[in-house]
Amino acid sequence: MPTATPKVFVNEVSVTFESHGRSVLALDRISLQADAGEFLCIVGPSGSGKSTLLRVLAGLLRQSAGEVRIQADRPGSPLTAMVFQEHALLPWRTVRDNVTFGLENRGVGRAERAARAREMLAMVGLTRFAGHYPHQLSGGMKQRVGMARALANDPEVLLMDEPLAALDAQTRTIMQEELLRIWGTLGKTVVYVTHSLEEALPLGDRVVLLTARPGRVSRVYPVELGRPRRLEVRASPAYGALLETIWAQLREEVVRAMAADRDPDQTGA
Amino acid sequence: MKASTRWLAEHSIAIVSPLVLLGAWEWASATGALREAFFPRPSTIAVHLGQLAADGTLWGHLATTLIRVAWAFALAAVLGVGIGLAMGLWRRLREGLDPVFAVIYPIPSILFLPLVGFLVPPGEIALVVTTAVTSFFLIAFTTTHGVRQIDRLVVEAALHYGARGWRLFTAVLLPGSLPFIFTGLRLGLGFALIVVVAVEIVSSSRGLGALLWLSWQILKVEDMYAAFFVIALVGAVLYYGLAALQARLLPWVQDVADS
Repeated sequence: MPTATPKVFVNEVSVTFESHGRSVLALDRISLQADAGEFLCIVGPSGSGKSTLLRVLAGLLRQSAGEVRIQADRPGSPLTAMVFQEHALLPWRTVRDNVTFGLENRGVGRAERAARAREMLAMVGLTRFAGHYPHQLSGGMKQRVGMARALANDPEVLLMDEPLAALDAQTRTIMQEELLRIWGTLGKTVVYVTHSLEEALPLGDRVVLLTARPGRVSRVYPVELGRPRRLEVRASPAYGALLETIWAQLREEVVRAMAADRDPDQTGA
Repeated sequence: MKASTRWLAEHSIAIVSPLVLLGAWEWASATGALREAFFPRPSTIAVHLGQLAADGTLWGHLATTLIRVAWAFALAAVLGVGIGLAMGLWRRLREGLDPVFAVIYPIPSILFLPLVGFLVPPGEIALVVTTAVTSFFLIAFTTTHGVRQIDRLVVEAALHYGARGWRLFTAVLLPGSLPFIFTGLRLGLGFALIVVVAVEIVSSSRGLGALLWLSWQILKVEDMYAAFFVIALVGAVLYYGLAALQARLLPWVQDVADS
């Protein structure tokens, strides 16, 4: 399983927040790695620090301790590009200009930007909407723009922070299929955060399960459901068995997280 | 053609309601329900308005008022947007200026007229500066709020995609606050007209406010109402004009409230 140089290398990473004069440990010595081209899913109960870990990988937050390395193979490409949970598009930019935003900031020329935008919008099926503003799009379409924006930067690693959580169930299913197709085409390394096993299992090569706060790596599950994979895999017995196994563990963490929320100091009220 | 018909249909109430009001007024004055000496019929006022326009009196006063509003608004807009943006961006500045603004803002700006007269040459400049005060606060407040209300996630995404410094300002922070800046400008422009007219009433012999007040003092009631209508019309044109400009310049704002 481990190769000489993993694409994403996270070693003993801890993150501490200052909150109301107390320091809160959000991530506790997380270690994990993703190989080039791997689809890695990170699952955990809310408050397990999944998004915090992603923000550290994205360079939006500095870890308090530990080491993060992302293997750069193509000079000039950004290390990461993130698809945000609430799409986080710039409302005053058209779809096209949102997709090229990162390229513009890096000084990529106009002609290349236009070509890249065309290519990415075609890939996510939004060619006809290039001139629209985000508010004119549905939730699923906005999230496609978010994906196109990230992919247009051709990052070494694609980070996805619960990208489908805000969508309705049907749209989510369609988007999962799209995501599998695009990932199959581009072969990007993906780190995908979600609280839902139903999202993680059809997509991931491995599922990293985090504990309730502070987030630690509980277990890592390989998802041996074959590739190329289609969503029909959800009907297979292997899928059901795996889902049940991981859920048994996740359930414990969720219950623990809920108890901690009710009673933060574990002392009784 | 079709579009204009639909526009008329959609806005029929906005067009009909003032007409109904004028019609009722006309009827009340004609039948004596309102005393015609103080409430002349709108049709009579229109005739007087035509005379004021024909002999040039109206245009002189109108131009004077518009130039004063323009200067005061320009002054308030430049300072208000500039300081408002700075306050939105820098917490220290905001915390320092907020209490000062909170104290000055509620004072009716016409009270500044004599004070301003000690600081700058009285007359035209004092009038413009006094007028600018209220508009300035409105524009600065809304601009500050405009910067502060920008979605943090959007800013974070912009940072993640490499926007820094001046680029972050021009591509994210400024456009993000523009809808609020525009609201501030609309309010500020309206208040500039209000204050200019008020100052003209107390301290000037020219301008629409002066025309209104002088006409009243010599009991030329029809001329007073004529000035009154022109002021109202100018206010409406400025208000809808800026709204139309905003719709043109910020096409992405229009339906934000719906989504």
